[in-house]
Amino acid sequence: MTRTEFLSKLADELRKNRIADADDILSEYEQHFAFKMADGFSEEEIAARLGDPAELALQFEITAQHKGSAGRKAAAITGLCFIDIFAGSFFVLLIAWEIVMAVFSLCNAVIAGCLFIGTSPWSLIPQIPYFPGAVFGVSFAALSILTATGCIYFAAFIRQLMRSYGRFHQNTIAAASGNAVLPSLAIYPRLPAKVNRRIRSAALISLVIFAACFVLGMIISMISSGALEFWHAWGWFGYNGIN
Amino acid sequence: MNIQYKKGVLELCVLSLLSKHDCYGYEISEYLSNHIDIADGTVYPILRKLKSEGLLTTYIQEESGGPPRKYYSITNLGREVYEKERKEYLDFARRIEILLEDDSNDKD
Repeated sequence: MTRTEFLSKLADELRKNRIADADDILSEYEQHFAFKMADGFSEEEIAARLGDPAELALQFEITAQHKGSAGRKAAAITGLCFIDIFAGSFFVLLIAWEIVMAVFSLCNAVIAGCLFIGTSPWSLIPQIPYFPGAVFGVSFAALSILTATGCIYFAAFIRQLMRSYGRFHQNTIAAASGNAVLPSLAIYPRLPAKVNRRIRSAALISLVIFAACFVLGMIISMISSGALEFWHAWGWFGYNGIN
Repeated sequence: MNIQYKKGVLELCVLSLLSKHDCYGYEISEYLSNHIDIADGTVYPILRKLKSEGLLTTYIQEESGGPPRKYYSITNLGREVYEKERKEYLDFARRIEILLEDDSNDKD
C-alpha cells in the first residue's frame, strides 16, 4: 500500500465510522509518513508497520463513544442536591463536634491555669489546698494538650473528608456530562510522616501525664485531707460528710 | 499479544514518556515500537483518547526546515492519574509474576 492509498483508505474508514476531526487524525498519519520517509523507509514498509487502516479507524471509534446528554447531567445534579442535604447536615455535626472538643480543650487549659495561680474565679473551682491543686493542674494541662491534638487530627480529617466529597461531586457531574473523571481521593488525611509522629507522641505523652498526675493528685489530696473521700472533707458538695 | 490487552498498558507507557518531556506524535510512536511489538499506527488512537480525557494537551510548534509539529504535553490531571495507575500496575504485575512463577515451579 502506498502513502496515498493508506491515507485515503483511512479517511474512508474514519468517515464510515463517523469519527470527529478526521482531518486532524489524518494529518498525524501524514506526519508519520513524512518522518519515517526522511529516515529512509519506503512507503510500503511504513504503511505495513502502521497496521490495517480499517482496524485503526475502529480504535478511534471506541474513544469517541461516550458523550453525556444534558438530561443526564440535570438528573445527576438533582440527585446530588438531595445527597448534599444529608451530607451537609453530617458535616455540620462533625464541625460541631470539633468545636465541642476545642472548647473542652480550652476549658481544661483555663482550669489548669487557675489551679497553678491558686485562684478560683467566681468560686467555681472547689476549695483545695495549693499543692494537690497544682498536681491536678498539671493533669488538666495534659488533658488539654491531649484534646488539642485530637482537635488537630480531627480538623485534618474533616478537611480531607470534605475535599473527598467535593471530588465525588465533581466526578459525578463530569461523568454525567461525558467529561474526564478525576481519581477519587482518600477520606483519611495523609499528614507528613514528621507531623504524624509529633501528633502521636504529643498525644501519648500527654495521656500518660494526665493519668499519672490525676492518680497522684487523688492520693496527695487523700493524704493532705486525711480522708479517703477528700471531696467530703473539703466540703465540695455543700456538706462536709460528717452531717 | 492481544491488542486490547496491551492498550491499557500502552496508555501508561505514553504517560510515562510524556511525564519526562513533551513529545510529538512520531517520537512517541518510535519510542513505543522500539520497546514493544505493536503496529506503529496504534499510538495515535491512544493519544487521542488520552487527550479527550484531559490527561494530555497539544500545541503546535514551528520547526526550522520542516512542517510545524504537534507536540503532546501531560496535564496536571495526567500526572495525577499516571502516578496512581503506575503504582496500581506495578503492584498488579508483581502479584502476577509471583503467581506465574509459582506455576512453573509446580511443574518441575
